Amino acid sequence: MQTSTMLSQLASGMLVSIEIFVLTLLFSLPLGLLVALGRMSKSRILSGIIKVYIAIMRGTPLMLQLIVVYFAPYYVFGINISARFRFTAVIIAFSINYAAYFAEIFRAGIQSISVGQWEAAQILGYTKTQTFFKIILVQVIQRIIPPVTNETITLVKDTSLSFVLSVAEMFTIAKQIGAREASIVPLMVAGLFYFVFNYVVAFGMEYFEKRMSYFR
Amino acid sequence: MAEVLLEINNLKKTYEDGNEVLKDFSLTVKKGEVVSIIGPSGSGKTTVLRCATMLTPISGGSVAYIGKKALWEEDGKVCQASRQDMKEIKKCFGLVFQNFNLFPHYTVMQNIIDAPISVDKVPRQEAIERAKMLLERLGLSDKADHYPFRLSGGQQQRVSIARALALQPKVLFFDEPTSALDPELTAEVLKVIKQLAAEHMTMIIVTHEMQFAREVSDRIIFMEHGIVQAQGTPDELFDSDNARLRDFIGKFTS
Ligand SMILES: Nc1ncnc2c1ncn2[C@@H]1O[C@H](COP(=O)(O)OP(=O)(O)O)[C@@H](O)[C@H]1O
Ligand SMILES: [Mg+2]
Repeated sequence: MQTSTMLSQLASGMLVSIEIFVLTLLFSLPLGLLVALGRMSKSRILSGIIKVYIAIMRGTPLMLQLIVVYFAPYYVFGINISARFRFTAVIIAFSINYAAYFAEIFRAGIQSISVGQWEAAQILGYTKTQTFFKIILVQVIQRIIPPVTNETITLVKDTSLSFVLSVAEMFTIAKQIGAREASIVPLMVAGLFYFVFNYVVAFGMEYFEKRMSYFR
Repeated sequence: MAEVLLEINNLKKTYEDGNEVLKDFSLTVKKGEVVSIIGPSGSGKTTVLRCATMLTPISGGSVAYIGKKALWEEDGKVCQASRQDMKEIKKCFGLVFQNFNLFPHYTVMQNIIDAPISVDKVPRQEAIERAKMLLERLGLSDKADHYPFRLSGGQQQRVSIARALALQPKVLFFDEPTSALDPELTAEVLKVIKQLAAEHMTMIIVTHEMQFAREVSDRIIFMEHGIVQAQGTPDELFDSDNARLRDFIGKFTS
């Protein structure tokens, strides 16, 4: 196999990895915020359900969750699973898993804002929703950048777990080529890719953190 | 006769933990009056303000603004005004906190104009004009674009007063507005409050600054253990022979 063929195959895997990463963040961040709000809800039932959901997401292996999400339509609803569902299943599993982690980060962030901010806003006549979106959320975002960065870096590496559903991302492809060619090189290339990817992510988050440090 | 702006009758407050903090507190404030509340720490001064501004639910009695009932007791249950009435009632008052509670992600200007714009729907340009005038009055014109963390405590408290005034409240409450400040900064905030008093702003001020209370107030209330122990004009109180009051005032006047 030519090096160029190998690289082009790895490159296509790389794009899929990036796609999984971006889509997961896109869905799990807003979902995580909703989950955090539900977790803090006055309704015991809602917050109870969400507690269980978070416990399951954090307490079981992500790899198992990927498999469960993939096979769920067949075992629960008797729907035949098409191969195209693999990618969708990966996005769903990653999104609901990361939403649980992000939710706990959001919750800690929201609860760390002094109650005085809410009270000042209430006296000034803001509604609860206005207060949350205009006053609280920006402060929360500033505070949670470091833990969110950690999760994001973990996500970059976790995308490789998609290999259990044979989604053609970086790691799956590197493993395949490596086995076929009896070579460690593809996996080393994959390792380098994850490293550089994370370097870029960390750089981006650091920039964002700087941009958000205009207030204290 | 001046209009009655605030009327609190037989206010009772028991916190969830069963702590009966206010037993029977009444207070009537007319337009243009400045009333100071003094008393030892833990006597319930903050609780009075929190009940009057609806930050905390009351356990009994009544609160009314501009002759409109806000909270009252009926068949042993506390009722409150309809949403619509409550909205109007809440526009009547502002509150200045001990620790300012400015919004840290907003500049001084944004802190002052945001509520008028997004709550009262004042046109942006008008809100800015008003804010500029307020900043001028409070000696903060050069700070409009600063974020709160760059200001001294005294400046932050003056901004929070400006933020409250921007909504043009009829009554302004202060909860120990200078307790978080050192003496030098205290003076600049007290000066601003005196200036407001001279402009006949109606104010209810919880303070430990005895000399200031004496100068600025029309009436002083001395609270202890959730009860009004004495009240009257500053001279009446400062010359009172109530032993506890004399003792208390003595501690705070050096
Ligand atoms: N949220 C609360 N829950 C229970 N007790 C409270 C609460 N807030 C204040 N208290 C109690 O009420 C009493 C009066 O407090 P406060 O009104 O803050 O007094 P002051 O402002 O005069 O120092 C104190 O004994 C205090 O411990
Ligand atoms: Mg107090």
